[in-house]
Amino acid sequence: MKSNPHTPVAPDSGEETLRLIASLPAPSGLEERVYEALRASPGRGRVLAWPGKFRSKVALENNWMRAAAAAAIVFVIVGGGWSVYTRVEPGRNGKVVVIPSRAPDSGGFSGAGAMRVPETLPGPSVTPPTKKAAAPKKDRSIKPAAGQNKATQPARPEVLR
Amino acid sequence: MMSTSQAIYAGWMEIPTSVVNEEARRRAEDAAIAAFVDQYAGALYRVAYSVLRNPSDAEDAVQEAFLRVLRHRQSLAEVRDHRVWLIRIVWNIVLDRKRRAKTRPETDDVAELARVLPSNGLSAEELAAAAQHHAHVLACVERLPAKEREVLLLSAFEELTSVEIAAVLGITESSVRSRLFRARNLMAGLLDHQRSLR
Repeated sequence: MKSNPHTPVAPDSGEETLRLIASLPAPSGLEERVYEALRASPGRGRVLAWPGKFRSKVALENNWMRAAAAAAIVFVIVGGGWSVYTRVEPGRNGKVVVIPSRAPDSGGFSGAGAMRVPETLPGPSVTPPTKKAAAPKKDRSIKPAAGQNKATQPARPEVLR
Repeated sequence: MMSTSQAIYAGWMEIPTSVVNEEARRRAEDAAIAAFVDQYAGALYRVAYSVLRNPSDAEDAVQEAFLRVLRHRQSLAEVRDHRVWLIRIVWNIVLDRKRRAKTRPETDDVAELARVLPSNGLSAEELAAAAQHHAHVLACVERLPAKEREVLLLSAFEELTSVEIAAVLGITESSVRSRLFRARNLMAGLLDHQRSLR
């Protein structure tokens, strides 16, 4: 069942005004003007619709005239395409210089060609043993482990800086 | 009772598709559209005028609505309720125009309202007072939120039921009712406020 929203409302809720406006009559001749607009709409015309000022001067309604106009348009488009086609020289292999793509490192920064040199620590330098050197001194700071034979211990080189 | 357009359209529908050639179909569609113009142009104008409140703009909107119908005439057969469908088309057009124009409606002017609205035997003073009141009411309507304002404007049309308003706005009937309720409350508040200021 359809229900109507036009329930009784308070006399001064303003809807009286809206109803007055909603009930205003349409202007006379509205339908004729709409018909005119529909008749003049471009949707009703054919594919090639001419501007109004030309329509009255030249009798372009004839089919042959339209066909000629369409042929002229096609001729211009095809001719233009052909002229472009004939001027462009195809199939010439020019010198191609391949520029290596320089893909940026992650983050978009480049190293500017710099090479990374790893930092290394200076190695130990050993002094050559002197000929006059006496028997190696016993390093008293290092004590052999208990039960280890002293004669089996090798001589420790002296580290100089 | 079947309307003229429906009868024409139904008549067209009865013709087998194989027999109907393009020209005959086009002629039938034109006849249906002509019948729509005869039957609904006035209603569409009033809908358009209630939003735009400018006679020439409203007429333009009606013309544009029928031009859209002409453009989409192939889909006429799929439309169930032509009246609601047409009102929906013109409604969308006028809302779009109002959104784009952002201009003050012509009849916000009290003098213009006094000219447009029926006098009903009122004296010049009474007419001026009535026009003043209507101008205040319309100003309050403009201050309503869009959703509430739209329902209130459409509800002013006696020929539109809440089901049809819902179809025009693309919402449910319960939404129409709740929005209308809110709109009336808001309007009452706004008018009270206006009255207290005077």
